[in-house]
Amino acid sequence: MCRLGHSRREAVSGIMALLAVAGSRSAAAASGELKFGLTPVFLTSDFELLDRLRSYLEHATGSPVRLITRRTYQEITALLLSGQLDAAWICGFPFVANHPRLALVGVPVWRGKPLYRSYLIAERDRRVSGLDDLKGDTHAFSDPDSNSGWLVTAAALARRNLTPERFFSQTIFTYGHRNVVRAVASGLAMSGSVDGYVYEVMRETEPGLIAKTSIVEQSELLGFPPVACSAAAADDARTKQLRSALVGMAEDKNGRAVLRMLRLDGFSIEDPSLFDAIAAEVAIVKGAAG
Amino acid sequence: MRAVRIPLAIRIPAVVIVFMAAVAVFISERVLTRLQEAQTRHLGDLAAVYLDGLAPALVAPVVREDVWEVFDIVDRARQVHAGLKPTETVVATADGRVLASSNPREHPTWSLLPSSFSAERATAPAIVSHDTEGEAVARRDLSSGDRIVGSVHATFDISPLLAERRSVLITLIGTNAALTFALALTAWLTVRRMMRPVRVLASHLNASPETPVEPIADSLIKTAPREFRGLFAAFNRMAEAVRDREALSRHLAEEERLASLGRLASGMAHEINNPLGGLFNAIDTLKEHGERSDVRRRTIDLIDRGLKGIRDVVRTTLVTYRTDRDVRSLQRADIDDLKLLIEPEVRRKNLTVRWRNESHDELWVSPSVVRQVLLNLLLNACQATPTGGEISFEALVENSSLVAVVGDTGPGLSDSARDVLVGQHDHAVVGSGGGLGLWMVRRLIKEGGGTIVVYPRSPTGTTIRVALPIGDEEGLAHVA
Repeated sequence: MCRLGHSRREAVSGIMALLAVAGSRSAAAASGELKFGLTPVFLTSDFELLDRLRSYLEHATGSPVRLITRRTYQEITALLLSGQLDAAWICGFPFVANHPRLALVGVPVWRGKPLYRSYLIAERDRRVSGLDDLKGDTHAFSDPDSNSGWLVTAAALARRNLTPERFFSQTIFTYGHRNVVRAVASGLAMSGSVDGYVYEVMRETEPGLIAKTSIVEQSELLGFPPVACSAAAADDARTKQLRSALVGMAEDKNGRAVLRMLRLDGFSIEDPSLFDAIAAEVAIVKGAAG
Repeated sequence: MRAVRIPLAIRIPAVVIVFMAAVAVFISERVLTRLQEAQTRHLGDLAAVYLDGLAPALVAPVVREDVWEVFDIVDRARQVHAGLKPTETVVATADGRVLASSNPREHPTWSLLPSSFSAERATAPAIVSHDTEGEAVARRDLSSGDRIVGSVHATFDISPLLAERRSVLITLIGTNAALTFALALTAWLTVRRMMRPVRVLASHLNASPETPVEPIADSLIKTAPREFRGLFAAFNRMAEAVRDREALSRHLAEEERLASLGRLASGMAHEINNPLGGLFNAIDTLKEHGERSDVRRRTIDLIDRGLKGIRDVVRTTLVTYRTDRDVRSLQRADIDDLKLLIEPEVRRKNLTVRWRNESHDELWVSPSVVRQVLLNLLLNACQATPTGGEISFEALVENSSLVAVVGDTGPGLSDSARDVLVGQHDHAVVGSGGGLGLWMVRRLIKEGGGTIVVYPRSPTGTTIRVALPIGDEEGLAHVA
């Protein structure tokens, strides 16, 4: 399935970026509408959350906001690079991969830090102690452009000079961290790579599903999936409005309601070096693939 | 023929039960068949809706072999169709491998589709029920254009349907059993009620022979159904006739007894009268020539003989007709005495008697029984034989039985008389002419455990052979 090589992905991104410069961006700006992209990094299924987020952003930025969701990270990233989106909540991996062309707007703060972990999960009753025990599994990944849902596991295998395709008997992309949990809980997959933040939130929202799984391994702390914009628009007034809206979310009543639903503390402005650990993993995977 | 003996009060309810059972089986079979058809149709419709709903969404992911999306679709569909209870949904590729199942642990991805799922190609949803396993499997092929790219299979839990069928069956059985029981009970009560007059009639008809026939009481006739009132009245008329007949026969028997008593009395009078003339003559002789010793001696001898004759006659009569039964043994002379008793009749009709008594001096047989039997037979023979004829008598002991043979030269026994003596039925002949005597003979012989045989005699006449078993000393009183 959509497992592209990194060089190829970059090539696609580059083409998208060129297209963006070519004109779409001006069209988006002209409409006066703030287009905000959302990846399946968090619980996109909750329409109430989307409504509240949109109304908060409209109120805070003073302009109409359109929330745009796509099935894959790649689609959102392409839209962002092509300028069809003003900003998007993407993952650390596409941010790092497209770093010079993307700039940070804000990074969510979870449990006091702009950091999270990736989890390796398996069926609850399996007696496994680490990644090495999962050899030959049917493994569920979230998205080929997800840090926690693919890159972390791929990098761990690359350190062993392995690839997911060789190590696992079968890999399934579910295009959603919640889907990874569903796949493992149902038995469709024997193990999965999942976003630790989503997993912990689901522990509260869907304890029945989580109870059927167990954590095999946790990664080191990594930069939380950030809200990014294209580098060209980093200093636009629109981007500044959005940044202050995000950072001020914790100070606003409606904003706090949104944060409560997301189980986040707020948004902070961080240096791109926050994502160096992810960049290192990208390098390892690239090295192994190369 | 045995079945005929089952009382009507049982037979009719039994027929009701059999009939109801047949109706119940037929109706139950129809109801259950229709229910099953309706359920199958309903299940088929539901399966069609379910599979047709899934099919369009599944085609594209199946072509792409997108395991997750296929799983996602069937997993969500299961949640949506919770009421239908598809226990499992399996999507397979065209070459029969599982792409994804709603229960991946049971049927993992890329495993071969198990044979429990329908193997027949089905462009429209087709359902097959497995009643024993309580499930049904449905199949629908997924086609893109003209090509079949895979198939979607669903397993349905039909145990609620089977349970419903079972509960309907139980309800049917319960209702029918209750209905059958109620109808059988009603039939039994009705028949019993209907049969009550018949039972009344039967109990009156079956009354023991010893008790007289009783007419049915008026109160019963009044409460009986109309059809039976006539029957009861007819029975009462018949009972009345029987009672009249019984009274008549008692009356006749009495007359007969009196007549025979009269005959006996006249015979006795004759027997006593005969020597009386001689005795008076002898007394006259004594009066006139009493002083002559030779005459006196001769005359007194004559008187002695005459008085002894009278004494014998009186004693024999007493012995024969004693009402209390004796415990004496039979003397040879007891039989010879009988000759004396028939003497008047013999003389009156001028008969010849051939008498042979070869019985032992003493036999353990009731003398009164033997004497009454033989006297009755002898008198009957005398009566049957025309004037100047001959009767014969012979007594002997044979095989520890006393055998007596009485013969006459009369016209032979009438059929009715023979019937009285040796016929199938033990009943008194009503009518004139010694019938009662013969009936007594039969009864006495039967009581004594003896036999009686009647032979015709050539050229004319009858021989009657009677045998009475000789008992021991103790048995005698009982037999008598």
